[in-house]
Amino acid sequence: MIQAFDVLLTVLLLVPAVVLVVRRWPSARIISSALLFCSLATGLAIAGIAFWSGKHVSADLSKWAPFPFSLSLDRLSAFFLFLICLIGMPVTLFSISYIERHYAGARRDWLWVLLPLFVLSMLLVVTASTGFAFLFGWELMTLFSAALIMVDGDSKERRHNIFIYLLMMHAGAALVIGAFFLFLPHAPGLDFAQIRNSVALLPQPFRTAIFLLAFVGFGTKAGIIPLHLWLPKAHPIAPTPVSALMSAVMLKTAVYGFVRFAFDFLGGGPAWWGYLVLIFGGLSGVLGVLYAIAEHDLKRLLAYHSAENIGIIYLALGAALVFVANHAPMWATLALLAGLLHCLNHAIFKGLLFLGAGAIADSTHTLNLEELGGLLKRMRVTGTAFLIACCSISGLPLFNGFVSEWLLFRSFLAASGLHNLTAATILPLATGVLALIGGLAAACFAKVYGVAFLGRPRNQQAENAREVSLPMRLGMVLLAIACVVIGVLPGLLLRPLGATVQEFLPGATLPEEAVSLATLMPWIALSVTLLVIAIALMRRVKKTVPTWACGLPGLNARMQYTSTAFSKPLRKVFSRVYKPDRAVEVLPAGQPFFPNSISYRSVRTTSFEKSMYRPVVDAVVATAYRLRRLQTGNMQVYLLYIFVALIALLMFMRWS
Amino acid sequence: MRMAIDILQVLLLILIAPLVRGVVARLKARIQNRRGASIFRPYSDLAKLFRKEDMVPSTASFIFRLAPMALFAVTVIAAAFFPVLRGSALLGTTGDFFILVYLFALGRFLLMLGAMDGGSSFGGMGASREALVSTLAEVPLLLALVALGMVSHTASIAKMVLWTTGQDFFQLSAVHALALAAMVLAAIAETGRIPVDNPTTHLELTMIHEAMILEYSGPSLALIEWASAVKLTGLMALLIGLFFPWGIAAAFSLPMLILALVLWIAKLGALAIALALVECSVAKLRMYLVPDFLGVASALAILAVVFTALMR
Amino acid sequence: MGLFETEAAKALASSAVFLFMTVLLIAAAKRISTCIVMFSAQSVVLVLQVLAVAHMRHSKEAYAVAGLVLIVKAAAIPYALFRIVDALKAPHDVSASTTSSQSVFIAAGLILLSFFAVQPYAGVLGVDEAMLAAAVALVLAGGFLMVSRKKALMQVVGLLVLDNGIFLAALATTFGMPLVIEIGVVFDLLMGVFLMGLFVFRIRDTFEHLDVSKLRRLRG
Repeated sequence: MIQAFDVLLTVLLLVPAVVLVVRRWPSARIISSALLFCSLATGLAIAGIAFWSGKHVSADLSKWAPFPFSLSLDRLSAFFLFLICLIGMPVTLFSISYIERHYAGARRDWLWVLLPLFVLSMLLVVTASTGFAFLFGWELMTLFSAALIMVDGDSKERRHNIFIYLLMMHAGAALVIGAFFLFLPHAPGLDFAQIRNSVALLPQPFRTAIFLLAFVGFGTKAGIIPLHLWLPKAHPIAPTPVSALMSAVMLKTAVYGFVRFAFDFLGGGPAWWGYLVLIFGGLSGVLGVLYAIAEHDLKRLLAYHSAENIGIIYLALGAALVFVANHAPMWATLALLAGLLHCLNHAIFKGLLFLGAGAIADSTHTLNLEELGGLLKRMRVTGTAFLIACCSISGLPLFNGFVSEWLLFRSFLAASGLHNLTAATILPLATGVLALIGGLAAACFAKVYGVAFLGRPRNQQAENAREVSLPMRLGMVLLAIACVVIGVLPGLLLRPLGATVQEFLPGATLPEEAVSLATLMPWIALSVTLLVIAIALMRRVKKTVPTWACGLPGLNARMQYTSTAFSKPLRKVFSRVYKPDRAVEVLPAGQPFFPNSISYRSVRTTSFEKSMYRPVVDAVVATAYRLRRLQTGNMQVYLLYIFVALIALLMFMRWS
Repeated sequence: MRMAIDILQVLLLILIAPLVRGVVARLKARIQNRRGASIFRPYSDLAKLFRKEDMVPSTASFIFRLAPMALFAVTVIAAAFFPVLRGSALLGTTGDFFILVYLFALGRFLLMLGAMDGGSSFGGMGASREALVSTLAEVPLLLALVALGMVSHTASIAKMVLWTTGQDFFQLSAVHALALAAMVLAAIAETGRIPVDNPTTHLELTMIHEAMILEYSGPSLALIEWASAVKLTGLMALLIGLFFPWGIAAAFSLPMLILALVLWIAKLGALAIALALVECSVAKLRMYLVPDFLGVASALAILAVVFTALMR
Repeated sequence: MGLFETEAAKALASSAVFLFMTVLLIAAAKRISTCIVMFSAQSVVLVLQVLAVAHMRHSKEAYAVAGLVLIVKAAAIPYALFRIVDALKAPHDVSASTTSSQSVFIAAGLILLSFFAVQPYAGVLGVDEAMLAAAVALVLAGGFLMVSRKKALMQVVGLLVLDNGIFLAALATTFGMPLVIEIGVVFDLLMGVFLMGLFVFRIRDTFEHLDVSKLRRLRG
């Protein structure tokens, strides 16, 4: 096993080198993608064995690094490694054809070089067992993903978005570094085992500080509202495989980090930690999906949905923290099961959604929902896979999204058994929040699927859409199959996940709710399928007619509901969340009654930009301006600074 | 024996559903001083529709024909959750109300997609309005069920019914009163009755559910209508079981089962009369007043959940 | 008779539930007639509670109070209000400044507040907590109605609900006030309703509407 780990790392490092060597060969893309695929398959195997059987693997690479650097796979890391490789493989398949079709020359080579390095950095993060290895991987993740986005083009707007992305990621990383460094006095090597042992020595304020730093730091990376600003800026401009990996996998590494800190290192804490996480999780969930409903660019919509699902995961984690604080390890297990499983489920269906978006872009060259339509009849396989992903993300039964949401619902209901009245009331109320989130997500994806894939094409390009190539289809189909398998047979994952939680949560046991769903779901799926087949066999002849147009000649595509129209009722009801700036311009200006043109512009800036970020940015810039005065340009002033520092140091030494 | 009774319950719900619709329609007609059609009219409607051929718009894909079949299949499975004669149901003992509510959501989602598949404006309109109403209606329904689950310490519907039969009828519980009010309002929204939606309207701009099924004909339409009737009967059975279950058979004896059946039909009849009275005396709400209506339901449901802690 | 007594006693013990439902329904109501009917229902519940108290303590005074409340609050005042509403021929809308669901949320909050407020006192006074909470909730709901409904008639209804709350509080803690005081309060209310009945016509004739928020025009 240890050798396999080394092999995996070596192969992943080899791929970029090989790509650079073979790039002129005609079969370059096959070689590079095959290498990547094989290394991911190896990773999947290692992770699978470690996850299902619980064998721990570790590799100590400290001799090659100036700081303590070792990797190890306990069950939690194995689960996340499994997640990374499971999503990485279909994405690689997809990229074989996608990168070939959309990129050429140096850009293509750079993509194939950077992709495995990106995957490697994520792998480093989840398998690290020293703080330095973790932070090394963390920073690499940011840099490689930014580089991958940059490969796709660097117009001024893109550079602005990349800059915001890098800035926020580094701010988050700084907080994470701070959280790690607070452990330093007691765990000098920042080895995870040392950290776990040293937590008992830390006083409570320290622990609270570590928790808050970890929460905000990892939250920035995960994309909790209000720290989500970079999500809709970075995800849409990345190349599709990279968007898929970022949204599906990279956000989960942040969740992994938070779970490590909050549960493994700190072992839970006072109940208010749980309520804090719960509140922000709920806020993210609801606001994320509300912002998504108003979007009509498919990738931005999916980016906001990532914020929503991260919100659901954090709801689960918050519930688990509350349960741990109230000494109910069995229900904490249930909540953690829900959170971890939702990580995997979201990775699968979000990866599939992004790949589907890539397929749509490949086929119709646009991702604007208002210009699509009727794609299902033209792209059968893509359409069916996308349908499965839409059903999964809406949390409908028979698909994987439902399993994790069900577990979360049951854990909220279980809270009514607690003695603490506050927890016993607040957690069941969170059921309402989750139900609202689920309903809004279903509404949003009914809109997306209905407008993009059903009905008439709204555009010549949509009309001429054709099915995408085999590798792309294969990648999507693999993920769709995963969605259905986990949805119908959840028992496969629930038991090992229970064992995973037991590793870092003392006293945890697998709750019987998990078992009951595992037995019930296959029966429900079987009966629904059999019934549908039975009805289908009995059906009669069908006759194709034009759509009824009230007797008037022909409907055209413009008479259908658009994406904006579909979301209007919801936007009107939740109008306090959206505050659009509307501008109506009538030209020529002096003649209001006989205009040549009337233009209407509605720009939505999420209120966070105006109320939260702008003041902070302005304050930082103002402080920077004031500090500029230190830079006088006068040589003697600079010498004075050094002199003053020397005197201060002498005084400090004398009086300390 | 137990399995046979449970299967019988499911068949009872499915077969009696059109009759419930017919009875409500006839009562409404009588209240409005008309003669009204026979109460068995929905059966002949279904038979007529099943004999006709399915007409599919040229823009439609396989989802158009899949949606009614999946909706009906899912509703039949959902009908297996409701206890009728005994305190158990085919899926109602092991399954819980979360699966039930989300099974309904699955059917509704596919129906919305089927509506948009027709490529007409009305389909989109119906789907968009249904999205709004169903999103807002799920919250009070789930919260009310959660409140009831909290007091009865179980999530399975059959066990909740059994727990309620063990309670004293005269000791009114605030939680139950609030949950009943919230569930009634949410059920009205889920089944598309007045004051949320008029199931007999002919004006497209006032439709929510009907607009989604304008393109459907023949057996597909029959399946959708039947599924809608089963959903109405199922939700009525849920209300009866959760709030007035006294009289269900405690054992397998034939007289007890017959008594339970008679009582259940009587309670169903009472609910049908109440529904007809409400539908005749209240006007349909304007579309953008429906969120207000459902907000009232949500407030009642939230209060029900909070009361479970107060009443401990 | 014994069985009837126990069942009746249990039902009355849970009549607080009815009162909470009427509070929520009055908050949600959009028509004046609904509010008047709710007030009447509240009064009937209060009458039943007074009868229960009268039966338990075998007090003739309590029977008299029950009869008085029944005749005046449950029948006469609602009848008078209905007649005023008919005579005004004004729209039946309640002119609320908060939407239906916002009102219900606020009413729910008031109910919870009343529970929290009476918690320390209920045990001390030996009173059923739900009953006292219902009383406070009625008072707060009456106040909320007066504040948030702009129709002049709704001010009266709010005052009547508030008085119901005070009556219930007195009933719960001291098993009713002496008959003389009850008669005095009830006749005060009757006078209030008649005066309001007169004034409402004056307001309508002078201003063409019954919106009290527009009375601001009277200030200098």
